[in-house]
Amino acid sequence: MSPGILEATVGSDGPRQKNKATPDTLRVGCIAMVEKDGQARRAEILSIKDTKSGRQFYCNFDNFNKRLDEWVPVKRINFEQDVEWPNPDKDKPKDGKNKQGATAQKKNLSKKIQKRPGKREQSVTSEAATPNHPWSEFVDSQPQSKAPSTPRDLESKAGQTPAAAGDEMDLDEDENTPDIKKEDDGFSREAEIEKLRTGGSMTQNPTELSRIRNISKVQFGKYDLFPWYFSPYPESFTQEDAISVCEFCLSYYADLKSFARHRQKCTLQHPPGNEIYRDDYVSFFEIDGRRQRTWCRNLCLLSKMFLDHKTLYYDVDPFLFYVMTQKTEKGQHLVGYFSKEKECADGYNVACILTMPQYQRKGFGRLLIQFSYELSKIEGKLGSPEKPLSDLGLLSYRQYWSENIIDLLVEYNERDERCTIESISTALAMTTQDVEHTLQALKMQVYHKGEHKVVLPEKMIQAREKARSKQKRYIAPERIQWKPPVFTASSRTWGW
Amino acid sequence: MSTRKPVRIRKLNTKTALQVLREDQIDRNEYDSLTTDAQIATGVESNEEQEIHLQAVLKGAGASTDNEIPVPPPQESDVSYDELYSTPYIEPRNYIRFSDTVEETLGSLYDMTTEDEEYLKTYNAKRASKLSDDDFERIMELFEMTASEQTPYAAVDNTIVPYEVMVQHMAHSPVVKLQTHTKQVYEYWKTRRQDNANKPLHPSLKFETHQEHDDLDPYVCFRRREVRQTRKTRARDVQIADKLKKLRRELEDGRQLVLLSHQREVLKKELLNTERFLFEHRAKLKERKVRLGIKADDEDLLYNTKPQKRKISEVQHPVRGAPHQRLSLPVPRESRAVEQDLVQLSDKQKEQYAEFFRDIESKAQHHRHWNNGHIDLTERPLSPVKEEQHQNFRPAKAVFLPTPPASASESMELDDEPVSTVMAPKRAPSPFVFNGADESESTPTYRRRVGRNGRLWIDRRHCRLASPPSDTETPPQSDQCKYDQDDSEDEQAVYHIDQYSTSAMRFRTTIPAPGHRYPRGHVADANAPAHPVAVSRPALPPVPAPAPPQPSNHAQPQPQPQPT
Repeated sequence: MSPGILEATVGSDGPRQKNKATPDTLRVGCIAMVEKDGQARRAEILSIKDTKSGRQFYCNFDNFNKRLDEWVPVKRINFEQDVEWPNPDKDKPKDGKNKQGATAQKKNLSKKIQKRPGKREQSVTSEAATPNHPWSEFVDSQPQSKAPSTPRDLESKAGQTPAAAGDEMDLDEDENTPDIKKEDDGFSREAEIEKLRTGGSMTQNPTELSRIRNISKVQFGKYDLFPWYFSPYPESFTQEDAISVCEFCLSYYADLKSFARHRQKCTLQHPPGNEIYRDDYVSFFEIDGRRQRTWCRNLCLLSKMFLDHKTLYYDVDPFLFYVMTQKTEKGQHLVGYFSKEKECADGYNVACILTMPQYQRKGFGRLLIQFSYELSKIEGKLGSPEKPLSDLGLLSYRQYWSENIIDLLVEYNERDERCTIESISTALAMTTQDVEHTLQALKMQVYHKGEHKVVLPEKMIQAREKARSKQKRYIAPERIQWKPPVFTASSRTWGW
Repeated sequence: MSTRKPVRIRKLNTKTALQVLREDQIDRNEYDSLTTDAQIATGVESNEEQEIHLQAVLKGAGASTDNEIPVPPPQESDVSYDELYSTPYIEPRNYIRFSDTVEETLGSLYDMTTEDEEYLKTYNAKRASKLSDDDFERIMELFEMTASEQTPYAAVDNTIVPYEVMVQHMAHSPVVKLQTHTKQVYEYWKTRRQDNANKPLHPSLKFETHQEHDDLDPYVCFRRREVRQTRKTRARDVQIADKLKKLRRELEDGRQLVLLSHQREVLKKELLNTERFLFEHRAKLKERKVRLGIKADDEDLLYNTKPQKRKISEVQHPVRGAPHQRLSLPVPRESRAVEQDLVQLSDKQKEQYAEFFRDIESKAQHHRHWNNGHIDLTERPLSPVKEEQHQNFRPAKAVFLPTPPASASESMELDDEPVSTVMAPKRAPSPFVFNGADESESTPTYRRRVGRNGRLWIDRRHCRLASPPSDTETPPQSDQCKYDQDDSEDEQAVYHIDQYSTSAMRFRTTIPAPGHRYPRGHVADANAPAHPVAVSRPALPPVPAPAPPQPSNHAQPQPQPQPT
């Protein structure tokens, strides 16, 4: 974590230049100490705008998820400490790599300038110039050194650690959402798009612009949602204080009158597909991205605000959307959904998965996950979510996996039987890899006296008892009315 | 971990059976040393794996820590929800099946903005005939639609669809009724488009424009996913060319087919016309003949049969070559047949009867075959197999043989063989024959067989002696209600019997002389040869010594009542 290491790793780039800055000299790409929740944290400035109340900086906090990024006023930035300046040496290689990108962004820029003079200009220049990825590479190579550091550490010591800084760039997560892979770190854009051509649903958009949340507030049904990430709604929406999204057809409006007019005409009261599951708590609808292109696009735009790795680069045609709703006297309200490739070469049973923020932390994620596995069971396949997972996605899946595996194992233990990884995997329609990872993550798999054994930790069993007393809700598989849809070669060829 | 270093851990196979233990079933110290701290793949992007909040939660996995990843919390909105979402929802009983798209569920796709609302207010203030919101939107929708069709690159080349073109499009839509307003609204629409850089008025997503900067513009979304290209090779080109040729050929064939069938139909029509013409003329001729009282043979009415026949045969030949016309042929051919040989109804009927009987016979044959070897010994056999048994008994009415039959010796050897074949030609047992009077039963029959010690038995079967004058007649009727009432004790049941009915008389003849011990009398056959003879009923064990009085009694009734 010392500068020495930094030099060694980053090599010729050398340490970043550090010295004092003023609000006027602070540039996009600088790393400064910014107050967050009462603590000073390292933060990278991603954008700068001038408002009536003064200049504001869009900050991404070190080791914080991107969804916690925010606009901060000058007073929250500590100018008494040194600011790390973007390293011009590093910019060069990046510029070379993304020559086209840079020019393209400039073009974008010119458009944007018309709308938001002043603000975007700076960020745009910075976009072309910011060298973030090399740091994150460094981070990857040094995962252990960083992990243990507490916020305090970061404040004092790691404040100057480039390693920590690296995280800023790519922190993103989504609620429950696994997303597409990006090639290691140096965004290999071409390779990634190539991959998307044939499958997959997610990637992170490499442009700086997409690192910045562009919609500030969404009025959706009874709630105001605060987006976590960038979403490619019409560019003019970025100037609005809030946009309105129709709860049923998911159409988006910046103008209130338009929205009200739309609501008078909109007759949808449930997702426009076939209901394949219903109990007294939730319903599931299956929607074909090809048939319901508008609705599915709207859904993707909406969910992109809460999913970081999701890409809307390609169209929705090759996906099926399984939408979970809850019924009220107004209609079937969107609670969450997962999408699934009609034909997935990698055997994923979920592409993107999201519980709407207003329904989070109520156990809906588990229902979504369970449902995805129930579908896999009907298909007679083992499934796994598309990677990468978001932080919230990982937690939800880990929880689902461990609960179910422990349930099974306790039964094995009570019957005094041996079990195999494969039998667990078959029973739960999980890939053997996921089973093994879960066992290892829970430290249940041990090697003892020459053979592998599974140990059920006491606290896990207690947690299970506790969870049981809570009477969680589950999907009742017998209520699913679903046959795996079959797509002919021609429908795939001509369809997408 | 260091303590475990020397242990070489075998790789875990997914098929290996693992022992499942609880933590308390294993030595704690041992367990602690066994658990690894190895990094486990999380599936989260490496940069994000280290995030503070995630790490905090992962560390506390399994523990009761309430670590949560903080997210920007949603809020209750202050919109008037019930006003915006006013329609109540009624859930159908069955699972919903739905395939309308969003566009299909909406009326007009243009939604009036605040700006439009203001314009419309001022516009309506000036006029007597008001333009409603809905109509305004309809007009705007039409303009927008037409513009996107006519000038897809309006935003680039800044062309504006002229009003005249709009009017043309209006002609096909309900908007035409609003023509008094369209011109003004068009002007308004035009200014709004101009203000908006001639882009569609509704904010729209950015789609690909196939320009270089598309790729990195994060606002460009929902590109078409390209179909994987198949490699271009010469073989593939040839394949494709062949496919195209084949397609072309098939299309040509189809065209020919349509052409030919058209021709065929035209010919058919001609034929029908001609036939009709002929028919009418013949009808006229007939009428005239009737009027003129000509009663000569009606040959001339059939005048054209022969020429027509020839015509048809002529037609027939070319037709064979052209398969398409085959269909039309049966029509003329049939009509000719009908004219030529008029079929008599009686012939038809005869034919049908013959067929009918043949059918029955074949069915009977089949049934006989099927019943072969089957003996129904139930009380009321369904299939009259017993006939075959009866065959063992010769009908007594048969000629009284003056001498012991020549066949006797044979038949003795043959034992149970149906001897009767000689005398009564064996009638094949027919299934379900209803023998009304049941002759066979009313005639006494007998059979011979050889018993132990070479004794010759003659079994005789009488007509249904014992059976009271038919269960089928009166008694059931009169008796029916006998026990239905309790109070009928002292009343004597009265049976009405027709004294002169054949059955009653038959019954009376069978009443044996008083003192007869065997109601179903046995007869020692007079015709029996020298051997000792015993007579018995087939169902009962043979009675070795017949009672002496019986023979006389029973030999008598030879003049059997032969109901005819």
